[in-house]
Amino acid sequence: MPRTSVCITGIGAVSGAGADVAATLDTFASGNRNPSNSLPFESTIACPTFQVDAHLPDLPPRYNNCRSLRLTMQAVREALGDAGIGGFDSVTRVGICIGTTVASQLNNIPFYSAYRRDPNRPLDAVIDYLHANLARAVGDLLHTAGPRMTIVNACSSGTDAIGVASSWIDSGLCDVAIAGGGDELSRVAIAGFWSLGVMSSQPCAPFDRDRSGLNLGEGAGIVVLESAAHAERRGKSPRFEIAGFGAACDAHHLTAPHPEGRGLDAAIHIALSQADIAPKQIAFINAHGTATTDNDRAEGKVIARIFGSDVPFLSTKGFTGHTLGAAGGIEAVFTILGLREGWLPASPGFVNQADDVPIAPTRARTKIRGEYAMSTSLAFGGNNSVVLIRRIA
Amino acid sequence: VIPPATILGIGAVTPIGRDLNEISRKLGTDPGPPPGILRVSDDLLIEPRIARSMRRADRFIKMAAIAALDAWTPAEMSCAGVAKEQIGLIVTSGLGPHCRGFKFLDGILDSGDSDALPTDFSHSVHGAAASYIAGQLDLRGPSLTATDFEIGFEQAVLLSQCWLHQGTCQRVLVGAVEELGDTMIQMASQIPEANNLSAGEGTVFLMLGNAEVPGLATIDAAAAHENTDLIAIDEPTIVPEKNSPNRPAARHTVTFSPYFGHSASSSAFQLLGILLSLAAGRPLGKPMGSSMEPTTPAVVDNAMTFRTSCGRTATLRITTR
Repeated sequence: MPRTSVCITGIGAVSGAGADVAATLDTFASGNRNPSNSLPFESTIACPTFQVDAHLPDLPPRYNNCRSLRLTMQAVREALGDAGIGGFDSVTRVGICIGTTVASQLNNIPFYSAYRRDPNRPLDAVIDYLHANLARAVGDLLHTAGPRMTIVNACSSGTDAIGVASSWIDSGLCDVAIAGGGDELSRVAIAGFWSLGVMSSQPCAPFDRDRSGLNLGEGAGIVVLESAAHAERRGKSPRFEIAGFGAACDAHHLTAPHPEGRGLDAAIHIALSQADIAPKQIAFINAHGTATTDNDRAEGKVIARIFGSDVPFLSTKGFTGHTLGAAGGIEAVFTILGLREGWLPASPGFVNQADDVPIAPTRARTKIRGEYAMSTSLAFGGNNSVVLIRRIA
Repeated sequence: VIPPATILGIGAVTPIGRDLNEISRKLGTDPGPPPGILRVSDDLLIEPRIARSMRRADRFIKMAAIAALDAWTPAEMSCAGVAKEQIGLIVTSGLGPHCRGFKFLDGILDSGDSDALPTDFSHSVHGAAASYIAGQLDLRGPSLTATDFEIGFEQAVLLSQCWLHQGTCQRVLVGAVEELGDTMIQMASQIPEANNLSAGEGTVFLMLGNAEVPGLATIDAAAAHENTDLIAIDEPTIVPEKNSPNRPAARHTVTFSPYFGHSASSSAFQLLGILLSLAAGRPLGKPMGSSMEPTTPAVVDNAMTFRTSCGRTATLRITTR
């Protein structure tokens, strides 16, 4: 069936690279990154992380204790402001699709530790958790009517959320959708990735010869999507659209990517086919680029195989750390920024070409030309998701 | 308008069994007094066809993987010629694999942050079950896990319809899974609103194709709230609903909660009861409200689930072919 045009009319992002889109662009322009060597909670693991240093929105009781939700609402408010949307009437169908990892689990160690000692203690942390389903909470806070879904596809959640929301608009289920991801820094996630042996004790170096693992980060990235008809009705001239989305599973391993990137290869081809464009029309790629050995090797192989060695690409995780369920949302926003501004920063942390990665990311600020750009996400479970964005004007 | 999807296969692992004929038979009998907690017997989680790949899997994953396999098996023939990349997977759960999550927290607290077990971490993420299912069945299409405490299964079916309608997939394996762990049961026992409920666990999976494919029945999560032969509801809800919309009228109103228990994925189990009622040609389950009289033999060829919880309402309409 022919696709409905899914326009992007607003963006918002908060991460270790900046409290909003403007601050993020300043960081990109300076090339400076700001990892922290102290954690906001007790842990015996020492590792750099990328934290958000900004005043986050104060939310009503029961919602306010969830930092992932507050980060998400920060980005939602910025994106709605960018879209020129002050609120929703009762007849506008608004979909909410948000990816996360941390907010989906009752991983409150202080509470759980106390609970193990005294099972009769108050359950406020549990009640708060039950209120923190991100899509439901955002919808409740914005008083929207329409489909809501919280995606928990690990590190591809944010990208998948944008794909699902696009599908809703394409199917006529909603007129507007708020999509992306949000995740806070978590002691449990740090212990988990440490246990897997994929965390670096140094600032991460995606695609570099000497890469030694990922850094964790926190943040949120949100896009406002609209059907072209709805945007036109309210006099909005969109500058970007979702040109394609592809998702494919490796069906290979619970935590490791397929060594040849089978699922990523398929997802990219699906997205290109949906956009009806050739690989050479891609102006640049915002790669997943976690700085783990396996991810960067598999992803680098696929990018080289499909796009050749000349396509500009980078991993912005050197600026933000790996924000897990938020990463896809944040990096979709960064991809839009690249198309909007016409340049990419140097891929932070990259110095030396790796022997096992056939291509190299941007080494310096790079001008880009073209209408289309792509953001890729790979995740636990073998999930691979790709969103392809087109600059309209 | 999104067309309904066709149900090609059903799989379930429930507190009253895994075999659909056995479940149907039990749904035709009086459920008796509320039992408190309704758990899935470990005997149901033995499946030689996938035993090797399940060695590290926990109950959450095993329940989902076995039901997915059971839904897949009768539909496998209809998938011949369908590219693996065209078969999607959607798994939804409220609490997810929280038992494994608590086990990982125990590891952090007992052994220290840097010495917790990696397998506990990797199996505690919501997408673990989907990963096992995709690997076991070699499903290479979009694989999605979602979480919702109220109407996740309906949203998952709705997205399946979108994918089928848009040509993203030719088949979608969609399911809901909930596990009851001792810690969560203990916590729930302290919540007054939850004390009157029989908590349940288990999983239901459906293999779906687009509307043109012959199958058992059609399912529609986007249908209007029209009157119907049979309606299944999950009552009482944890939070009493004050402003929920009126239910559509039905000749028979039943609930399957006394058999399966209540959970965030209750709708999936109501749907299972509906499907088995349609197969039996008569309403099964516990009659409710005005249809408290014993159900007379009745031709039932359309039915729906009706779920309203925390201000959200969703339905699944089923029509026999």
